[in-house]
Amino acid sequence: MSAAGTYRHLFTPLTVGPVTVPNRIVFSAHLTNYALDGRPSAQHAAYYAARAAGGAGLIITEEHSTHPTDWPYEKLIHGFHPDVIPGYREITDAVHAHGTPIFAQINHNGGQASSMYTRLPVWAPSAVPDPLFREVPKAVTPGDIREIVAGYALVAGHCREGGFDGIELQCSHSSIVRGFLSPATNIRTDEYGGPLANRSRLLLQIVAAVREAIGPGLALGVRLCGDELIEGGTTIGEAVAVAQLVEQTGAVDYVNTSIGTATATLHMIEASMQVPPGYALWIASAMRKAISLPVVGVGRFKDPRQADRALIDGHADLIGVVRGQIADPDFAAKARAGEAGTIRACLSCNQECVGRMGLNRWLGCIENPRTGKEGSLPAVQATAPRSVLVAGAGPAGLQTAIAAAQAGHRVSLHEKSSAAGGLLRLAATVPHRAELGELIRNQLGELARLGVAVRYDSCIDVAAVRREHPDVVVVATGSEPDRPWWAGDSDHVVDVIGVLNGEARPAGEVLVVDEIGFHHAPSVAELLADRGCQVEVITPAMVVGQDLGLTLDMESWYVRAGAKRIVQTTDVIVTAASPNPAGRLTVGLMQHTTGAIFTRTVDWLVLAVPPRPLDRLWHELQATGPQVYRVGDCVAPRRAHAAVIEGDRVGAWL
Amino acid sequence: MRLLAPVDVGSRRARNRLMFGPHETNLGLGRAFSAAHQAYYARRALGGCGIVVTETASVHDSDWPYERAPAAAEAGAGWRRIAGSLHDHDTLCLASLGHAGLQGSSAYHQQALWAPSRFPDPVTREVPMVMEGIEIAALVDGFARSAGIAVQAGCDGVELEAGQHSLLRQFLSGLTNTRDDDYGADRTRLVREVIGAVRRELGPLPVLGLRLSCDEQAPWAGITPEDAGPLAAALAGGVDYVVAVRAGPFDAAGTRPDSHTEPGFALPLAIALRAALPLEIRVVAQGSLIDAELAEQACEHADLVEMTRAQIADPDLAVTLARGATPRPCVLCNQTCRVRDARNPIVTCIGEPRSGHELTDPEPARDPNGQAQQVTVVGAGPAGLEAARVAALRGHQVTVYDRTSRAGGAVREAARGAGRGSLARLTDWLAAECGRLGVQWELGTEVERLPDSGPVLLATGSVPREPPWLAQCTLPVFGAREVLAGVTLPDGPVLIDDPVGGPVGVSVAERLAAEGRSVTLLTPDTVVGSQLARTGDLAPANARLARAGVTSLKRCLLRGADPAGAIVEDRYTGERQVLSAGCIIDAGHLLPHAPLAEGHDEDPRVVVIGDAVAPRTIAEAVLEGRRAGLAVGAR
Repeated sequence: MSAAGTYRHLFTPLTVGPVTVPNRIVFSAHLTNYALDGRPSAQHAAYYAARAAGGAGLIITEEHSTHPTDWPYEKLIHGFHPDVIPGYREITDAVHAHGTPIFAQINHNGGQASSMYTRLPVWAPSAVPDPLFREVPKAVTPGDIREIVAGYALVAGHCREGGFDGIELQCSHSSIVRGFLSPATNIRTDEYGGPLANRSRLLLQIVAAVREAIGPGLALGVRLCGDELIEGGTTIGEAVAVAQLVEQTGAVDYVNTSIGTATATLHMIEASMQVPPGYALWIASAMRKAISLPVVGVGRFKDPRQADRALIDGHADLIGVVRGQIADPDFAAKARAGEAGTIRACLSCNQECVGRMGLNRWLGCIENPRTGKEGSLPAVQATAPRSVLVAGAGPAGLQTAIAAAQAGHRVSLHEKSSAAGGLLRLAATVPHRAELGELIRNQLGELARLGVAVRYDSCIDVAAVRREHPDVVVVATGSEPDRPWWAGDSDHVVDVIGVLNGEARPAGEVLVVDEIGFHHAPSVAELLADRGCQVEVITPAMVVGQDLGLTLDMESWYVRAGAKRIVQTTDVIVTAASPNPAGRLTVGLMQHTTGAIFTRTVDWLVLAVPPRPLDRLWHELQATGPQVYRVGDCVAPRRAHAAVIEGDRVGAWL
Repeated sequence: MRLLAPVDVGSRRARNRLMFGPHETNLGLGRAFSAAHQAYYARRALGGCGIVVTETASVHDSDWPYERAPAAAEAGAGWRRIAGSLHDHDTLCLASLGHAGLQGSSAYHQQALWAPSRFPDPVTREVPMVMEGIEIAALVDGFARSAGIAVQAGCDGVELEAGQHSLLRQFLSGLTNTRDDDYGADRTRLVREVIGAVRRELGPLPVLGLRLSCDEQAPWAGITPEDAGPLAAALAGGVDYVVAVRAGPFDAAGTRPDSHTEPGFALPLAIALRAALPLEIRVVAQGSLIDAELAEQACEHADLVEMTRAQIADPDLAVTLARGATPRPCVLCNQTCRVRDARNPIVTCIGEPRSGHELTDPEPARDPNGQAQQVTVVGAGPAGLEAARVAALRGHQVTVYDRTSRAGGAVREAARGAGRGSLARLTDWLAAECGRLGVQWELGTEVERLPDSGPVLLATGSVPREPPWLAQCTLPVFGAREVLAGVTLPDGPVLIDDPVGGPVGVSVAERLAAEGRSVTLLTPDTVVGSQLARTGDLAPANARLARAGVTSLKRCLLRGADPAGAIVEDRYTGERQVLSAGCIIDAGHLLPHAPLAEGHDEDPRVVVIGDAVAPRTIAEAVLEGRRAGLAVGAR
């Protein structure tokens, strides 16, 4: 049986209004921050084209704004400006070259915005400030509403001119239409407020205006939120009723779904690995039972088998796979070819995709260094293949070996321990973080296909380099725990690494010090709490695990930390840790905001502090030896994306 | 005025002692200087500024501290245009050159950050790479090359950044330089090498300045005010001037703090440098020197005065002072001029919305051909006052009504928050300008109906909302504004509910704590005052609150209150606790108040502005007032 047969439902074409999609895998709308000066860019075209080439059944672009009052983030495409059309054409031509249909998502973010860029009042149904932007909006007048509707029609016309096959109205998680639909943000007393028939009036007016603007030749979809996950907000009953109203217009060809509100419950829209795969499918399922239009299901679909299953079970007609195709543009093609095992599976770590969006940076991927650079980073082929020795098989060394082998070099990869993955392997052993380990699995799989074997238990020193006499050495030897001056020498003071690798088994009362501000301290705190410890996390920062906010892991950390009785104390630095006569540790602390000095008496002190680079080999090879590079933590201990990027850069450009 | 007297700096003569210092603008086009930059600087030159120092440009491609940070390698053409514009106005143009080192960002170039030693920046917590000989050589070379680009483009010289965000300061400081090589044994060595290389590149004539941190506010290992004189003396060979700044790794707003820091705080540093350096090396005073009086005082101790924010607030600072008038004041709010923010906001000013928008926003001026109209402004807050000022400036006859007996609107109360008193200087200035321009006042007059003719600008402000927990609350509830106005609160502990996270809740808490109250500040966020990051007051505000004994309840929602106490719920766990409280203060958002606008949605004669559209900040009020004033009678 062919692979397409393996995932028979996934690879069955579907008619969506006037458009036939070749398979059910949708690269649904998501922000990229690739826009330049409000216009779509060449990078947009290259990015979407890569997913089209990789077999996606349908691409839906990121949102295009429908009105000058809507500009919540800097790199939003101003669809209302006619200048966008040439860029639209560039995108649609690039995607159509692969036979893939592409829709444009159009939207007005309404009150989920600020006036920072527009220098105009924010428009919303009522003067209810958004929980993220916190700017009181202007309650729109009937004249404003006419302008909003006209803006949608205008932009739909631009999209039609730009060659799109369809339009999707984002009425789901950050939209003025959502604002009108939701009883939490619409407290109007006119014909647009009150009963659902009134709150959905704007949506239905927009549907009519857009259909008129695009005619019968383009598909029209509406994306609806099944549960806003906010107090007093839309829940599934009303969402299904809205879907039925949408269907009754006869003007709409499909319904897309989502969960959460972008400015209140974003962690459930772009859920990290802490939330189970397929967590939002119930919304598509409920809508599909109530309407006969095709329904798109979304929510951490990262495996073709899982997507096929959702179709078989009748929960949805199409499946949104966004991060899965950010990580591997060839997701669909590989599934179709029966090589699903070779898909570079998404980790749902949210570090370089979601995490960069909130910081106004271009979209990337922790494990795919080419994401975001499809247009500018070509595959490199070495003119003169060289022999490359890579020392260390953590993410940096593995990626170096992959890139060097792909470029045609002869690679030998040495790992001093008996397993690849470096620190990442340990990081994936803590609660709710197992999917992080897929990075290593993906890298090892790629290496195996390239015919590069990892030589385990092979410690590289200068003598070994002399013995192997490669043309080039790449040092990827990682880092080791550091011991700050205040940590003393008690063996009850240990690094998080020592806890994860089993060298230390803290018990009783444990103080965890967070100087890194990411998963390190929270993960180990949870692990120890699960083992029965009483845990307090302290940090000199204002927030424990500060960057968990970027990856949308903060909310679930707070929930679980509460359940596990983990105490969090901020603005505190450690000044000393010494054993006391009772055989415990006395930890000296200072609240740096007030200068107050106090102590804690605990059984263990666990340190999440910046590690020290293991760069001895690199230094030794400077004096003698062949050409030498270093990558990853042995340059400066950072996060996995830096290791992968540096490995790719050095490996490809030796 | 001493400030307006010429001064020689190296081989150049500045027409006065007023400097516009280097600062982030986000006006860049990629990493190049843009036409907007040029217009921004040229406007200050037109206004009489003696020396403009352009936004710090990175000297090496290992440095990309924020997305729109200029890069010297791409700056030549921009510097040429800017220098040309400045010279047209007899203003000197100096190029600030820098490298942010470990305080930079790896997000854009995706390379390791450079640093003297392995010291992660407290803000990003990113571990930098320790520079080896090859990187040090590249850095020195980068400074010299960049200086060459700048003077070849026509700049009068360069200024080296060893202040707030700088690798040079990181080398000078015992906090961040713990090297065991020559660059650690003598921490001035790298900076001396850079100065030497730059001077060699420049030759003897172009101006070479140094912006030097003289106080890192971390005396255990950082540069201290006592070090400043000897440090400057050790470095200053080959340098024409030194700017004395306060800057360290722990306080991101150390150099440019907001109104919670006393203006002139860095003057002692300039005094120390003046005493330590030979007279031909000029000393520049800096540090919230926002008004003429302070600047004159500074001129007694230093040779030049940097007044950056004062000239963002009023680009005509020098010419206004020269004619004996009062410039538009900087109120040290840092609300919109401090733009080191991931969203890349454009530098501007709450009181002068045209700043940073010189290419797009018209400048209010008398309209010689305009038809004078009778304009009615209702509401004498910042929106109404600015509208009246601009309309009057353009030649219209303006009457301002306010139901209270004083101008200033909601700013009057806001300015009574702790550390916020300077806000009132803006509305006071607007009112004085209105008076000067012949605006008629009808204060203490409630306008019941619209006048029969003429444009009507409604700036009637805001009213309190009904907070979501009100129905479940039997304790007395007060609005933050009422509290600031001085309402008498019942005895007992006070609970402030602050769903906004702006300056209001914090300033109310500080004020009540200072009055001896027991105060709890409740926020849904992970930190108190979450929106203060932009102004640089986030960490300082939290520290002040801690020192004042205010209890911060984070990640919490108020659910109700009765005489047993306030019911507070953890946002994430749902756990509830009851807190003893005598009253609740609502620091939440407000609602627009524009009853006179009802039924006039489509009436072109009636324009609603400021909080009456949607209660926001002074910035939006002034901007909308400006536009409304410009629109009166516009053809």
